[in-house]
Amino acid sequence: MKNINKPKILKGTRDFGPKQMAKRQFVLGQIRYMFETFGYDTIETPAIEYADTILGKYGEEGNKLTYTFKDNGGRNVALRYDQTVPFARYVAMNYPDLPMPFKRYQISRVWRADKPAKGRYREFYQCDIDIIGTTDLLAEAEIARVIVAVYTKLGIKNFKIKINNRRFMNSILNRLGIPEELQTQVLRAIDKLDKIGREGVTKELKTIVDGDTMRNLFDVIFIRGTNQEKLVALSSDDTDEIQQFLELCTLYGVEEKFLEFDTCLARGLDYYTGMTYEVVIDGIDVGTVCGGGRYDNLCEQFCDKQFSGVGVAFGFDRTIIAMEELGLLNDISLNTKILVTRLDDVSMPYSLSITTMLQIKNINTEIYPESVSLKKQLKYANKKNIPFVLMCGLQEQNDQTVIIKIMGSGKQKTIPRSQLVEYLNGALKREIL
Amino acid sequence: MKRIRIAIQKNGRLQEDSLSYLKKCGLKWNKMNNGEMIIPCTNKNIDLLFVRHGDIPEYVKWGSADLGIVGENSLYERKDTYVVRKRLGFGRCKLVIAVPNDSPILNITQLEHERIATSYPRTLTVFLKRKNIQASPISIHGSVEIAPSLGLADAICDITQSGNTLESNNLRSITTILTSEAVIISNDSADLSWLV
Repeated sequence: MKNINKPKILKGTRDFGPKQMAKRQFVLGQIRYMFETFGYDTIETPAIEYADTILGKYGEEGNKLTYTFKDNGGRNVALRYDQTVPFARYVAMNYPDLPMPFKRYQISRVWRADKPAKGRYREFYQCDIDIIGTTDLLAEAEIARVIVAVYTKLGIKNFKIKINNRRFMNSILNRLGIPEELQTQVLRAIDKLDKIGREGVTKELKTIVDGDTMRNLFDVIFIRGTNQEKLVALSSDDTDEIQQFLELCTLYGVEEKFLEFDTCLARGLDYYTGMTYEVVIDGIDVGTVCGGGRYDNLCEQFCDKQFSGVGVAFGFDRTIIAMEELGLLNDISLNTKILVTRLDDVSMPYSLSITTMLQIKNINTEIYPESVSLKKQLKYANKKNIPFVLMCGLQEQNDQTVIIKIMGSGKQKTIPRSQLVEYLNGALKREIL
Repeated sequence: MKRIRIAIQKNGRLQEDSLSYLKKCGLKWNKMNNGEMIIPCTNKNIDLLFVRHGDIPEYVKWGSADLGIVGENSLYERKDTYVVRKRLGFGRCKLVIAVPNDSPILNITQLEHERIATSYPRTLTVFLKRKNIQASPISIHGSVEIAPSLGLADAICDITQSGNTLESNNLRSITTILTSEAVIISNDSADLSWLV
């Protein structure tokens, strides 16, 4: 008896079937296209690294969540936990050969030994862009410009890039007389606002600072108004960089409506040193879909040379969830747009010539692999959601025509072979130049 | 002082009306010789540039002409944007979709998956997209009206002034996509503040 292994996959990992993959590939393609439009090149690093490359870079929590094991040669290895640390390791090893400033994008899988939950997986994709080797604020504006370009390209119209600034927050905490050693705690408490609400934050802050300080702090972080109104009201603190950033964004074509100066935004402020970003999509409850900021020293754990940079990570899975909720992925079908049927052996060469003609024009076309009943071939087309089926028999070969069956309506048309490409380009709504 | 160039049709349906419009504006020029492309005005700092109809937007776009007189309909075929300075009231026409008299197609929703022959594929594509109709524009340059009788299309999308051409080719209009007239255009980046 054969030994059959019950098929199963690890918790927190996923299989993606052809329909899901079509959507994922589409979204990934659009994101990649936009990154490249802005002049970013990509790199790839190994999925497994030496454990000590990865460990100790994300704090206690990160260490626990990193997949580590001994390989067959007894070496301690780890799966990459994010793309930033391997990137830093790569830059430290290769910077003399890299163009500087260096603009790179990276889209790959990362692994975390986290407890799986809704929207939380053990294996998932990250899409990062970073500009390193410059401290010019134009890099910050460009990151905002790319974010807007990506989400606009994906068809998402209503989203906000929340922005804040570490230097600005520092100047407030210092003005309020909060000792430096408590500042990180205060920022972490503010960061929990979305999760535990104002009351929860109040409770937590009470244990760190006194009542007056807290009220003064709340006056700042709960300030309302437009970006400009907030900047005017807070001008006694260090708002220069935010002001300059907003001006550069305008010059770079980032519409004001996408930017929201959010004084409550404290995510990652213990790591970031300048501007920070967090993107939310209006009316979609998936949390932050993209986030990042300016950091001062990317490679400090790997070399003495300093690289300041700014970058963001796009949450791929959350972006997919948001797009599905907005109905933006409904039209994504499998790859084949045209099925050429096999009617009889005599007309097979004609059918094949039609097939190659369309394939050369980059219209996704397949010919049915075997000679079977037309009914079976149409069933196949239905199952693959192929919108157009072509039938080319002897009669059509003699007339140099093709019968097109439109699967959606069942309508059938005979058109000249010479018009086929133009007809299908129109029917498939392919852009005409 | 810089001379202003106005591009107008070398020949075509708008030429006569364009010239009489410019005359009415007070421009004077010497009798034209055949084949001459640039005619200077004798009383103003203006040159008339005679070019092929389809080239007028091109000349304006590149700044070789400051202004141009064109049929509004031809602008919708182009990706570039122009500033319409003035509507001129002549050269009126309509862009329509028409089908053979004996066609079962009565309204635009029945155009689904049909072929529409046209010299205005871009305008037609935008129209179809807006109406959410999936039909195929078939690009033909000129003599669009005979495409259905040759079996090349199920409908046409073409310019009509009087409707006579449609009628004599046994076609009937089922919808008007747009109405058009002659307009004066400039490049949208052109600085014409000096032109008073």
